Amino acid sequence: MDYFTLVIAAIFVNNIVLAQYLGNCPFIGTSKESGVAIGMGLAVVFVATMAAAITWCVQRFLLVPFDLAYLQTITFILVIASLVQFVEMFLKKAVPPLYKSLGIFLPLITTNCAVLGIAIICQREEYTLLQTIIFSIASGAGFMLALVVLASIRERLDLARVPTSLRGTPLALIMAGLMSLAFFAFKGMAS
Amino acid sequence: MNRLWKEFSKGLWKDLPPFKIVLGLCPVLAVTKTAYNGLGMGLAVIFVLTLSNLLVSLLRKAIPAKVRIACFIVVAASLVVCVELLMQAYAYPLYLQLGIFVPLIVVNCIILGRAEAFASKNPTHLAVADGLGMGIGFALSLTFLGSVREMFGYGTWFGMELAGDWYEPFAFMIEAPGAFVCLGLVLAGMNALTNWQRRTRGLEAIEGPIHDCKTCGLCATKPRI
Amino acid sequence: MREALRMILVLSLICGLSGLTLAAVRQATGPRIEEQVLTYVQGPALNQIFANADNNPVLDRVAIDLDGEAVTVFPAMVDGQLAGVAIEAFGRGYGGDIGVMVGFATADGSITGIGITTLKETPGLGSRVVEPEFREQFGSRPGQDMALQSQGGDIAAIAGATLSSAATVAAVNEAIRMYSRIKDRFPKRWSDQDTP
Repeated sequence: MDYFTLVIAAIFVNNIVLAQYLGNCPFIGTSKESGVAIGMGLAVVFVATMAAAITWCVQRFLLVPFDLAYLQTITFILVIASLVQFVEMFLKKAVPPLYKSLGIFLPLITTNCAVLGIAIICQREEYTLLQTIIFSIASGAGFMLALVVLASIRERLDLARVPTSLRGTPLALIMAGLMSLAFFAFKGMAS
Repeated sequence: MNRLWKEFSKGLWKDLPPFKIVLGLCPVLAVTKTAYNGLGMGLAVIFVLTLSNLLVSLLRKAIPAKVRIACFIVVAASLVVCVELLMQAYAYPLYLQLGIFVPLIVVNCIILGRAEAFASKNPTHLAVADGLGMGIGFALSLTFLGSVREMFGYGTWFGMELAGDWYEPFAFMIEAPGAFVCLGLVLAGMNALTNWQRRTRGLEAIEGPIHDCKTCGLCATKPRI
Repeated sequence: MREALRMILVLSLICGLSGLTLAAVRQATGPRIEEQVLTYVQGPALNQIFANADNNPVLDRVAIDLDGEAVTVFPAMVDGQLAGVAIEAFGRGYGGDIGVMVGFATADGSITGIGITTLKETPGLGSRVVEPEFREQFGSRPGQDMALQSQGGDIAAIAGATLSSAATVAAVNEAIRMYSRIKDRFPKRWSDQDTP
């Protein structure tokens, strides 16, 4: 599997939100303004990559040698939760400007299923460490792409007159459906 | 008794997840290709949610406030691992169908949200009623959505043939775009129903429930976006 | 300080309890999970090979020790007699290991057929090793090493998927080697008339 295919497949063909149904809560919840969307997207790329790399090591050097693979779920979520706490504390002390722009998104990421999802997918596909890192950066970028595009659409929709019942979440979901239909065109390009 | 019924029944209509409280969208979209898958995921969520509410409520006085989220996560994750093992042992084909979304129950906002917002503040019997009600509401919603998508997408219901050979399955419904559009339309229908009821009572129409991270109890404790 | 101690104590207690519970659940469900996985992953391949078996090869399986590694052997009974056994072997393909279940007739050690258990090959190319046209080349032939046509043998590789085809052949050869070393060590009850 060459790395270029891996990247294209993760961003476009198997887009984490629009084709794999992961991370939908923040996708709908933080796509009201593009500024917020960019912040959330960057936070996901950052945390997902670190989480996937660390959980890969945990699985390889702890769970598999001790025959504890069935504890994967509980170990991974605890690793991600502590990682998020740690990153938050580190950014606050060391890089205050970055904390200011990303900090508020970090607590939301513990329950973002895209992060845990990416870590588990890497294990199920039996990626190497390098493949894991590349795949998680690309998947995070795919998440960010979908999020920013949806936010831009929704900013315009705010100016349109739509029936009261459709306003807000329902219309956002239908827009997401149309975007997903557009991304469907990539199917078969790479797997 | 009255209170018990109130906490149980609110999950069935008034606060029905995920249609009235828009939470835990990933499994809602991902596993509702067929009614059977939706029901299977719903049953798993009933199991985890009821037991996690029970355990969190029992432990609520012992858990120090500062590490409560960590404790909730451990409780929920242990229950999810139990479900994973039981499903592999007794419903292996379903386990394969639901795939990655079985372990992902642990990050379903409903589980941690109910633990934080309700179970950690209420006595055990109410917490169980709340978990059971919310869980059943969630399972029914998933089965409903799965039924709609399966009927249009395959022309079947729980695998039973509904239409004759003349029916051309509408494949859009079982793919990802269909999931989004279908959920959007159901939410819009719910809003329309609410607004129709409000109008008959002479009230003004309102915008439906917004998907807001505030609805998930976890994030309510942190600064809002 | 006391608060911090209490936090650590409660957290470790909860983690410990959850660990114990999970270990117990794992103990209780372990054998059943193994059986389910075999039924749904290895089962379809076994059914392809032993279409006429009277028993359930998964339930009657035994593990035979070979150089310190356990080899799982699946027996097929016809009319109460051991007719054949199947062994799973792996070959390194393009996307990962390809698992191949190889069936042997116990009468003369010839190959009765093969079935693919696990694969991660490219859809449309390497994944075509599961197609009958390719698989049936291995059926009804003596249990001797074989090779692709490009290697001087008589197995026709799938166009555009030489690596996956070669991996399948390698797995079959591996299974033949394992079979020849364990064929005298099958449990006695298999050859008795009154087997279940």
